[in-house]
Amino acid sequence: MASMSSSPTESAIQSAILLSKVELHLDRVPVLQSLSLDVAEGGRLGIIGPAAGGKSVLLKVLVGLLKPDSGSVKVRGTEISDGDENTLMDVREEVGMLFQNYALFDFLTVGQNVAFPLHRQRDRIRKSSGDTLSDSEIDERVEARLLAVGLAGSGNKMPSELSGGMKKRVGIARATIARPKLLLYDEPTAGLDPVTTSKMYDLIAKDQKETGCTIVAVSSDVNALCTFADDIALLHLGQIRYQGKSDSIADADDELVRQFVSGADQGPL
Amino acid sequence: MIGQARIESIGSGILGGFATARGILKLIAGSARGVLRRDYPKGEVVRQMYTIGNKSFVFICITMGFLGMVMVMQSGEQINRITGDLSPLGAQFLRLFIQEFAPTITALMLATRVGAGIAAEIGPMQVSEQIDALRLSGITPVSYLITPRLIASVCMTYVLTVFAVVVTFSAGGLAAWSVFGLNPHVFFDSSQVHTYDLVLGSCKAIAYGSAIPIIAGYCGMQARGGSEGVGSATTNAVIAGSFAVLQIDFFFSGIGFVFFGGGL
Repeated sequence: MASMSSSPTESAIQSAILLSKVELHLDRVPVLQSLSLDVAEGGRLGIIGPAAGGKSVLLKVLVGLLKPDSGSVKVRGTEISDGDENTLMDVREEVGMLFQNYALFDFLTVGQNVAFPLHRQRDRIRKSSGDTLSDSEIDERVEARLLAVGLAGSGNKMPSELSGGMKKRVGIARATIARPKLLLYDEPTAGLDPVTTSKMYDLIAKDQKETGCTIVAVSSDVNALCTFADDIALLHLGQIRYQGKSDSIADADDELVRQFVSGADQGPL
Repeated sequence: MIGQARIESIGSGILGGFATARGILKLIAGSARGVLRRDYPKGEVVRQMYTIGNKSFVFICITMGFLGMVMVMQSGEQINRITGDLSPLGAQFLRLFIQEFAPTITALMLATRVGAGIAAEIGPMQVSEQIDALRLSGITPVSYLITPRLIASVCMTYVLTVFAVVVTFSAGGLAAWSVFGLNPHVFFDSSQVHTYDLVLGSCKAIAYGSAIPIIAGYCGMQARGGSEGVGSATTNAVIAGSFAVLQIDFFFSGIGFVFFGGGL
């Protein structure tokens, strides 16, 4: 794993994400239970936990794709738990997200997928100020982003022509191209080899250094995520079992947390 | 305990029915908003018209052509047994097809071909989180995905219904001439077609054209899991779409019967 610079948490002045007592049921099954979470502006939070523990659901709650049954969800100071579409539109303008299943639009080419957020951003700016990115500027930024994720020259391919790892990288390029203030990564390195994993985390860290964005990443690759993130939260059965510095998780008091991090056979899991 | 389980099952079925009705109503409202705001990608309506219209044209024409010939032969046979006077066959046949069979059978065929296609397109998008990605990009998925299909489906169902009438009537005339020796001048008679037949047929075609993409889109958006969920959504789209066509037919035929003194 390549070295990773620390995030600019020193300049944090407010919470980028503040969840308080969030409850969510899906098909009558409790998925998030009295979940509270605080992520500082400019911070990097890694979320780990056993499968079906609610990690991906939590990310969707953070951008209003799922509405909690109760509790408060504040994103960069804006309450979104009431599901008001106008508020959500405003909040989502500042969010980029890599989905677990890549979520690449299969009717668009790779280049069009990566350019999609920029076109949307351009449409919004056109409506307000009128000063927008030109087509050639968008093309340049798309090319640069594809080069950064190691997919230079793939712009004209269709998503169906790509491997899972390549789709993941296109997803990262699309999530980051509009330089959002909050980036959510759902399994950013799943399906990637160790070298590419290291490169992806380096790229994400470099982007963060430039933009000062806040990052929340969910990953099953505990070691890589602990190296990348400042803080780690372990989510188990919809509850936060641990939240603290990533370098001290191995010494956590909770036996379940220690077992999950060490990968031991014996234990409460 | 069995009684309680039964009550719970009935209650959950009723709640599910309400949830489906609410979901479809929301989809109708969202699509209508999309039409008014023109909040859909440029060129998408034309692309959908091609998919729904052009690609269904041959299928509809062949099916309706054969249907027209079979119906003329069957009804001609019956008339021959009763009165032997085949002169009103063409006029009644045309009226029946304009107000009933052409729109309804065309729509039933579109419900299978187009409805399945829409659900099979939108279902994988739902399962692979593409619809979530659209929402995250500030796009209303209903406007983006359903509205262009709705506009295209309404237009093309109407156009295909017109073609269906022409093809069926022509094929019926051919069958009447070759099987019964009926003079085409006698068969091609539009004297029995009234304005309300045209209005009723048009209303049905427009209603069917609206219902098919809405129901198929709803089924696609309800897809869960993997390919099994998409398959189930596609099947549901065909069944629910066909069922909706027959319900709409019953509704409009009932209105026709009450207000115009009987359609059939």
